[in-house]
Amino acid sequence: MDVRKSFGGIRAVNGVSLALERGRIYGLIGPNGSGKTTLFNCITGVERCDAGAIVLEGTPIQDLKPYQIARRGVGRTFQMIRVFPELTALENLLVVTTGDHAAATTRARELLAFVKLEALAGEYAGNLSYGQQKLVEFVRMLMRDPSLVLLDEPAAGVNRTLLNELLDAVRRLRDAGKTVLLVEHDMKVVMGLCETVFVLDHGEKIAEGPPGVIQTDERVIEAYFGR
Amino acid sequence: MKRLAPVLLVLALIALAFYPAVGTGYGLRAMLQVFMWIALAGSWNLISGLTGYVSFGHVAFFGAGAYTAAILIASSGWSWPFAALAGGVAAGVLALGIGWPCLRLKGPYFAIAMLGLNEVLRALVSYFEGLTGGGNGLSMPTLDATVPVYYAMGLTAIGVTVGSRLIIGSRFGLRLMTIREDEMAAEAMGIPTFRHKLLAFLLSAIGPGIAGALAARDQGYIEPLSVFPLATTITMIVMTLFGGKGTVWGPVLGATVLFVAQEMVWARYPYIHPLLFGAIIVAVVLAMPRGILGLLQTKYRLPRTI
Amino acid sequence: MNVLITPAMVGQVIISGLLSGVLYGMVALGLALIFGVMRIINVAHGPLLMLGAYTTFFLYSAFGLNPYLTVPVSMAVLFVVGVLLERTLVFRVVDAPELSSLLLTFGISIALVNAAQLAFTSDLRAVEFLTGSWILGPFAFSKSRVIAFVFAAALTAGAFVFLKSTRLGKAIRATSQSREVAMVCGIDVGAIHRLTFGLASALAAAGGALIAVIVAIQPEMGQIWTFKSFLVIVLGGAGNYPGALLGGMLLGLVEQLASLFLTTQLSEVVAYVLLVLVLLVRPTGLLGGRQT
Repeated sequence: MDVRKSFGGIRAVNGVSLALERGRIYGLIGPNGSGKTTLFNCITGVERCDAGAIVLEGTPIQDLKPYQIARRGVGRTFQMIRVFPELTALENLLVVTTGDHAAATTRARELLAFVKLEALAGEYAGNLSYGQQKLVEFVRMLMRDPSLVLLDEPAAGVNRTLLNELLDAVRRLRDAGKTVLLVEHDMKVVMGLCETVFVLDHGEKIAEGPPGVIQTDERVIEAYFGR
Repeated sequence: MKRLAPVLLVLALIALAFYPAVGTGYGLRAMLQVFMWIALAGSWNLISGLTGYVSFGHVAFFGAGAYTAAILIASSGWSWPFAALAGGVAAGVLALGIGWPCLRLKGPYFAIAMLGLNEVLRALVSYFEGLTGGGNGLSMPTLDATVPVYYAMGLTAIGVTVGSRLIIGSRFGLRLMTIREDEMAAEAMGIPTFRHKLLAFLLSAIGPGIAGALAARDQGYIEPLSVFPLATTITMIVMTLFGGKGTVWGPVLGATVLFVAQEMVWARYPYIHPLLFGAIIVAVVLAMPRGILGLLQTKYRLPRTI
Repeated sequence: MNVLITPAMVGQVIISGLLSGVLYGMVALGLALIFGVMRIINVAHGPLLMLGAYTTFFLYSAFGLNPYLTVPVSMAVLFVVGVLLERTLVFRVVDAPELSSLLLTFGISIALVNAAQLAFTSDLRAVEFLTGSWILGPFAFSKSRVIAFVFAAALTAGAFVFLKSTRLGKAIRATSQSREVAMVCGIDVGAIHRLTFGLASALAAAGGALIAVIVAIQPEMGQIWTFKSFLVIVLGGAGNYPGALLGGMLLGLVEQLASLFLTTQLSEVVAYVLLVLVLLVRPTGLLGGRQT
């Protein structure tokens, strides 16, 4: 099923149209200020687009409130880590669901084990290291089993080992049939992970295609280095 | 220590239950006030301590409860227990009415809106003189009900504390805290923050509403200045901040300690004490932002439901 | 209401509204500056105004000075007070969550009001200097309000010139837009914060000095000004400095009109309802500003 987005008319994002398919990893790159985070914000409902539509599996969602969009299966991590510092790692995950407490706790512990943090379940998230917080934020996003996963600079500030684990986890998400869209500056990550890459510049989509092709696209090179 | 605590608690409750048999009039009044402050501070904690939305106008609920009860008692001859419950309901309705538009605002704007609430209610009370007696106040038929009101206020204090314990120990309470920590991230995780804020606000109004009604009955006479004073809001804020906002027993601790201190020391210097309260707020915010219990919680890794 | 409302009355009220509005705007500008530069909501703004009023009062009663001459003195005194407050207390919460700065300035405001009660007692004071009105056609304007307007307009204009043209003013505006960038440009952000807080206090003091001639002076007089200044900022847009002036005029207008058609008591309620409505409909202010 498609996830389709097209916007027009916002200062930061001008007539960008993206179509995403299930079970694939997409990258979103572009120089700073090209509108990537604004795009994320529009998809998650934090900002309203002045024109255009965001369609998730056939249903338009652009007028919904952020929490409603999240409940429809859109998960997101942030550029600057936003865990809840005064809640424990486990509570950070538990807080997201409303169903049966025991079931939620089991799932939360499983997810923490997935990223090898089960020993720190009772630790206040604010006390964890940067990398650990990043992992907590990552699995917290998975608690609701989202079908569309938005990752905002997952590689930022992360060491090699942790990065490889994260990338592995992302591939497993893709294999499970989820759609992943990530914003990233680290080109190696993008080239190694994404199947299709969108390039934004000054709020417009200037290129779209597999990483190999994008790398050699003149407009992309110009956007990053030229003018 | 863990096993001792519930035993001590039960003993304390029993002692308080039998106190009227041995206490003096002054003693009863004082305890009544301690209960009242526990109910007020504990309720303020529910909205401001947990969600971080500072309610500067919380005394509005106290006054609304007081006036509702006084009017029902004086004009319609209601018995005071029912009037007290009506006071709680009225405060709740007011909370919904105010909260529905104001809680959509971001934290600081909400605080501003609450600042003005007090004055507005006072102005409204003066305006609807026919009903409320305006500036002349409202008298109720005299009734020596100090002992029953003591128990009622005590029950209110217990209710608020038990309610806090239940909320803080639940996922609902955790979700309220996420609003304080990072409201935008909470929304992004699928938490309907507005609904949660409104519910917390509603719950935080009931205690003051009932307490106000009971206090009105105890005094026998109310006027706008006596039930809408900014000093009441200030005091409940100081008590919660001092004892530990966001904790269950923090407001209880703060209310008890500061009330006792107020009675023993500062009542002798009535003009200094508001100044001191202002200074305490400043000191606590700068040096001890999570209050005494918050500090202990971090230092000794106490559970969240302390 | 059985009184016939004539166009002359409406005209009078509109002009009165604009006159008082500029005063609101000047005081609110101070608050807007603190919020814009430091992202702090200064609940103690009203009490600073109150202290300005008392300064004028005491200079007047001690030395018989023309109270309008004491305006610069009040401003200077409160400028120093503001800088001291920032340097000792407020600077600690500049980066803290908003809750902390709200509570801190709230604590300061209580302390100031009650210190005033201790020092000056709650007795009402007045500066009986200028009474009477000027008549212009069908309109009558209280002299003291007109002069207050003139001063407020001049000071506000001066403030805007300062912000736009001087180096310090530009530094303030730069910091208000982005603290990080300002730091990188070599601006001493800490000093700018102190300066801003001092300036804002001075503007509040000017307001206090000017209304000392108009209303009764007592320790709690500032509280309503705090609230109204916030209202003005909400109307004009947070961080929008010219908006503060326009918002002030709008508030003045609405208030005066409300007191014509309703009783004065209810005009406060009207202000409050206006605040809530604007916050609901356009949280960034009628003229557009920054969100928190």
